[in-house]
Amino acid sequence: MSLLQREREIITQNEYVDHFDFEEIEAFVKSASKELFISHRFKTSDAMQVQPRGGFPTYEKVFRLYEEFKEAGVDVLPLTIDSNTRLNDYATAKKMLALSEENDVDMLNGYPLINHGYRTTRKMITHFDTPVSLRHGTPDARLLVEMALASGIFEIEGGPITYLLPYSKNFPLDKAFLYWKYVEKVCALYSTFNEPINRESFGPLSATLQPPAIVIVIQLVEMLLSLEEGVKSFSVSFSQTGSMIQDVVTANVIKKLARHYADMFGHHDADIHLVYHQWMGAFPYNKEYSDALITASTVIAAMVGADKIITKTRNEAFGIPTKEANARAVASVKYTLGMLKGLPAVSDEEEEENLTSMVNEIMEAVLNDGADTLWRKVFNAIKKGHIDIPFSPHVINANEVITIRDPQENIRILERGKLPISDRSFAFERSKIRLNEGERVVDKIIKDIGIMQ
Amino acid sequence: MSAPNRKLLFDIGSTYFKMAENGTIRHYFRDFNRPIFDDLMEKCGDTIAKYRPEEIQICSSANGGLSTLIIGLSNSFSLKYAINIAFNSGINIIDTVLYHDIDTAKPPVEMIDVVIVVGGIDGVGRIFDDRLFDFLQDCAYQNIVYVGSADERGYLSEKLEKLVVLDNIITDKLKINEGALKTYLTDLYQADIMGKEDIKHLYEITANQIYSTPYIVNRALSHISDRLDVADPFIVIDIGGATTDIHYSSDLVNDNIVGEGGYDRLVFKKLGVYKSRESLIHTARQNEFVYELLNYLNVTENILEEESEAATKVLMQLAIFLVLYKVSRHHSDYVELKLENLNSIVLTGGITKVLNQEESETIIRFFYKKLLHFHQIPGIVLDKNYEIWTYGMQEFTNEEATKELS
Amino acid sequence: MKVVTGVVGNDIHVVANRLIEISLKERGFTVFNLGVNTYLEEFLDAIVETDADVLLISSLNGEAEGWCRDLQILKKQYTFRKDVVFMIGGNLGVGEMDPDALVPKFKNYGFDLVFHQVDLNVGLDTLENYLKAHA
Repeated sequence: MSLLQREREIITQNEYVDHFDFEEIEAFVKSASKELFISHRFKTSDAMQVQPRGGFPTYEKVFRLYEEFKEAGVDVLPLTIDSNTRLNDYATAKKMLALSEENDVDMLNGYPLINHGYRTTRKMITHFDTPVSLRHGTPDARLLVEMALASGIFEIEGGPITYLLPYSKNFPLDKAFLYWKYVEKVCALYSTFNEPINRESFGPLSATLQPPAIVIVIQLVEMLLSLEEGVKSFSVSFSQTGSMIQDVVTANVIKKLARHYADMFGHHDADIHLVYHQWMGAFPYNKEYSDALITASTVIAAMVGADKIITKTRNEAFGIPTKEANARAVASVKYTLGMLKGLPAVSDEEEEENLTSMVNEIMEAVLNDGADTLWRKVFNAIKKGHIDIPFSPHVINANEVITIRDPQENIRILERGKLPISDRSFAFERSKIRLNEGERVVDKIIKDIGIMQ
Repeated sequence: MSAPNRKLLFDIGSTYFKMAENGTIRHYFRDFNRPIFDDLMEKCGDTIAKYRPEEIQICSSANGGLSTLIIGLSNSFSLKYAINIAFNSGINIIDTVLYHDIDTAKPPVEMIDVVIVVGGIDGVGRIFDDRLFDFLQDCAYQNIVYVGSADERGYLSEKLEKLVVLDNIITDKLKINEGALKTYLTDLYQADIMGKEDIKHLYEITANQIYSTPYIVNRALSHISDRLDVADPFIVIDIGGATTDIHYSSDLVNDNIVGEGGYDRLVFKKLGVYKSRESLIHTARQNEFVYELLNYLNVTENILEEESEAATKVLMQLAIFLVLYKVSRHHSDYVELKLENLNSIVLTGGITKVLNQEESETIIRFFYKKLLHFHQIPGIVLDKNYEIWTYGMQEFTNEEATKELS
Repeated sequence: MKVVTGVVGNDIHVVANRLIEISLKERGFTVFNLGVNTYLEEFLDAIVETDADVLLISSLNGEAEGWCRDLQILKKQYTFRKDVVFMIGGNLGVGEMDPDALVPKFKNYGFDLVFHQVDLNVGLDTLENYLKAHA
């Protein structure tokens, strides 16, 4: 038995797992409908795929949510996992699921997939015969991903950095790398059974003034770590920055460099896609403004040529949206996209050049680290502050980089901390910044975080 | 690989010698009437003669391990970081004194191998005063090392003879800096061996540094799943005659320490089955679950007084239970492990010669059922051949080779 | 002047925490940021290790009371070499709680400066004035 299979046997023998039948699951994946694979959809359709967010504790409620989404013309269904499961606390998830089922009140902020199990969940997934994307935020997602794949969920979001540094204070990063390595290996293995499993990184990070250079570097390294294990279909992503031109520039650079680095490492056969997240920061309380924001970001998604867009709703400022509001947002985004065909390509060469330089400078420092594996190079880079995510709660994050917006609302690096960007690139960033006389940086940051409110 | 990877590995324990040659491990029971070195040469001399000193690697726990007394300024930083580094460097016995309470602290009775004094980030002064020197006057120690604020170095060096000064283990951002102290403590282990009459001769057969066995075991853990059916997160329990060692995956604790190795270690000094038998029984009797446990094992309390094979088995099972209990959330001490997330438990050391798979599972099942209300337990692996330490030695050899290349 | 800061208890409001750090630094303080999810003992231990002048605890999720109730008792277990200023700010109560009662309550727990739903700049201006007055 292979090392991986031995580990899988141990992982799936869990208090909360009802006998995990590898042979049956393999047979299921081999004969699964192509419609369940987003990688297949990407190959066969040019249309931007529309995917909302959402998940409820009970099977019933998710089922009804999916019905609502399908009626609105959804392309990809989401399955958002509850926060207890994300922390591997299946005992609490089980208790809260039981309470939710008994009382018809949602005691969890998502679907506890481990407790539901793959046999049940698969019924729902195959019923809708539509690609489902797993949204979670789990540093140790080994069991969760096994369960998702066995259920027919063939897109897995996340990664060792993007699902750890924005969420956790002290889960050890080195362990997260190793646990995600397992996820990549299992996804690679399943990719040989039928159409490829798509892996997607989570570019929004802490969703607060994230500089595109850092976002792109993290997308690239998570992509490389995934392809290295044999994954053949990967989506890089980022979220709306607040500046249309910065979104366009970011998209152009990330598309170009993702292909470049994938090829550089010999992964010529890997398909790479771009996912665009509608505004991930604080939303306005005014629902009409929210509608405007969502429409504007749909236009930008079309301009940047995203392969998939992940939508928000007009209820964003008020908590978890109802299934009706969520479905209405999907319908409205689809409607907007209908008007946005054949857009001309736009760009800003100077900005693209500077962003490309910054990304390459950081990537060079990461790859030049003396460690013998890619994951440890990246681990060391984070430890040294060569990769530094603004507003990460994690103890390993350097927290030295400070970003603010320029007059065009582009996010700029004001303090570079230990980012290994050249003086030239940094000078370019700084040259765009305008602070009013006597204006405190902290006040500017507060204003810049809340631009959409 | 064509590289001449000829290696002869030894683990010199207090009750056994283990010799690993080409993946085969042989165990030799110690003859306590003879000096260690003579005993070793008698038993393994012929094999040793076939290897050059550069090809022989030794780890040892025969000197009983080092003891330390840590005097630190706070629980969350000074003491916590120093304890973490000391355990991971293979130190066995740790006593701590919070500087605030030094007036009322009792100096240890036994001779301490090394006193570690720590406190403050660089730039902070006037931390220590006469209370420290008064306390140290009543302590018997071999070595003393200072790893606190740079501003106190001059003052302390003046007052304390033999004081070794190293980098502050607390950074300006209040993070841990383990390098210098870790090296110092592992080197101290070597010096200790060289200073001990009965084992210093080990250096006649090896040209390599002798490390403490727990330090080597800790380094082995990232390779353990290559050989044994073990998945992270896991713990390794090594119940010995005097102490019990636990190595654990770092994601089992909710700790702000950003370490390097992925595994940390801790030792329970009074939970052994031979030398610490009395204190083990005492601890067991104090435990609220012990009578249910004995009942579950179908034995009476009297067995604790017996000297029999059956009694040893029960004691071993008790030791496993108490170790799990002491690291669980029911008894949070230095660390609290998330045992509900465990995938594997590895049992190693003398215990694997006494308990079989079923007996080990029985006791662990009781623990999981009783304290965590679980029906299923983590995978239990008995390191019967006692081979984990050899992975740590190999890792070392590989690393040395890499260093030479670069 | 040295300040130890962080968010107390099971509170993950990282943005507020980082803004406080940036703002303090901008005002010339040396800052030791313990981040989110910090426990009271860690705050006091950090004061001891850094010889800080000010402790600034923030709490956004309304759980501050539960975490800070025992500050007086805990303080007795420490000797600080300075007269440390204890400050707390953020969203100190939840729901229908009377905001006017909150300030005296937290002062009673051992805080010198208490800010409930007060603008960050106002809070830090007050701190600076307080430090000047007590210099």
